[in-house]
Amino acid sequence: MGETIEIRGKGVVGGKAEGEALVADATLSFWGEVDAVTGTIIAVGHPLEGERLKDRVLVIRSTKGSSGTPMILNLAQLEGQAPVAFVNVEVDGLAALGCIVNGIPMMSELEEDPFEHIVTGDCVAVDADAGLITISKT
Amino acid sequence: MELTSEQQAILDGAKGEYLAKCVRWLVQWGDVMGAERLIKCDNTHALLPVPNLMARNASKDTMDLYMADLKEACQHRTAEGCYCTVHAAFITTEDVDVPENDPEQVAMHNELADLAADAGFIPTFTCAPYLVGNVPVKGEVCAWTESSAVVYANTILGARTTRHGTESAIAASLLGLVPEFGVLLDENRKGTVHIEVSADLTHSTDWGALGYFAGKIAGLGIPVFNGCRRPSQDEAKQLCAALATSGGVTLAHIAGVTPEAPTLEAAFHDDVPEESIPFDNDTLQAQYDALRNITGDEIDACVLGCPHASIREIAEFAHLLNGKKVADGVDLWIDTAKGTKGNADAMGYTRTIEEAGGRILTDTCPTNMRIPYKRIITHGFKQAHYSRGMIECESIIAKTEACVRSAIAGRWLGD
Repeated sequence: MGETIEIRGKGVVGGKAEGEALVADATLSFWGEVDAVTGTIIAVGHPLEGERLKDRVLVIRSTKGSSGTPMILNLAQLEGQAPVAFVNVEVDGLAALGCIVNGIPMMSELEEDPFEHIVTGDCVAVDADAGLITISKT
Repeated sequence: MELTSEQQAILDGAKGEYLAKCVRWLVQWGDVMGAERLIKCDNTHALLPVPNLMARNASKDTMDLYMADLKEACQHRTAEGCYCTVHAAFITTEDVDVPENDPEQVAMHNELADLAADAGFIPTFTCAPYLVGNVPVKGEVCAWTESSAVVYANTILGARTTRHGTESAIAASLLGLVPEFGVLLDENRKGTVHIEVSADLTHSTDWGALGYFAGKIAGLGIPVFNGCRRPSQDEAKQLCAALATSGGVTLAHIAGVTPEAPTLEAAFHDDVPEESIPFDNDTLQAQYDALRNITGDEIDACVLGCPHASIREIAEFAHLLNGKKVADGVDLWIDTAKGTKGNADAMGYTRTIEEAGGRILTDTCPTNMRIPYKRIITHGFKQAHYSRGMIECESIIAKTEACVRSAIAGRWLGD
């Protein structure tokens, strides 16, 4: 068994989910930077370019830009390609709306810097109801 | 959040399941964003998007479920007294000979547009509603989609809108309500970062460069520009679009221009930070350089009108194209709203542009339609930024005149 770390934070949109972390200290726009049907990040030069969102816990600074965020998230969700949870440093209202409408848990205001403790590939359990994430190192 | 008895009744289903769901969305969203109540909103810019190629290869089930939601929304009436316009689409209703304008999706769009019009939504299909009649006044509470238009409404008009998405703008349109948070409240309109502008901003695309720089720095914050002159409407449009491209900006202040920011001090609510970030001519040039990563100089498209062109811009494009010919193998698109095209037709601009081999595209833009190109040139930072990923092309940001010269030559000729 690898190391396990717990970090408390604020549950922004309630719910529980578990998945492989996809991590970048960066922002992301769903419209224009995510292909809805394949759930692939298509932003040129983005640190997560080419990554798939399906079954991932998306750990980024925040979403940005477009009001198309909930729409793209909705299409991705219907296609089974959406992330299972959001862990963001800052809460962008559009990501929050997308999470509410699509029933995706979202956490923010972690007591520790997520970029210091979570790397892509870690298994992250998000409990936004309890305000707790559990990181299992592989 | 505290609801009035009338709002609570709608939430409890007094006006049917769909409106109950709308209240639930707004209440949950408001709770998350720190709102204490729902307030009256009588101006919306809603997104009713038939996804076209944004949903390329999506299953029939996905499309059916997705469309069912939008159609259900349009079977209701917009709230009494609420002025509701509609955001740009992913297809065009004009007769264009590009395969990306999927006839099946056009039919879906037309069906939805008819339902929407019956419901009270004005079919503007534009990303720049302030150019075709939706011009809120200072302090007016709005619910707008389209991040660039949101920044314009807050920054240039002094109206108040948070950044909305499909569901929240539909809910606001049908209920005439929004959760009160963010820039709807005075205390959240205070500047967060001071940008001192010394660069010479001589063209609307230069203002886009300023926005592209500031958006990266401000993130979700509120940049304050000081030291620059008053932008024109077209310059302000580029500034606002770029701010919402590189960042998640909702509101910016231009000291002396933004209605609530007559001075730098007012923009910061008398709490000006000690540090300021300079925007000089070198920084200006660096923004252009960042969106010119090209491996050759041949171009196959020139995209003008991002955000949607004003009639003044179309006059300029027509002037630049008058008597010229766009090179073979180059598509020159001018994106705009139908209302503006009507004026361009009347002024003879459309004819001049078409005689030069250019085309006016209404309701959408080539990138939203996902028309594939290898290398595009554009005057809009937003278009130059997103097209790279959305249609996997190389992009060149340039001022209008250089865009048109390159389109005529068929290759990037430099500034």
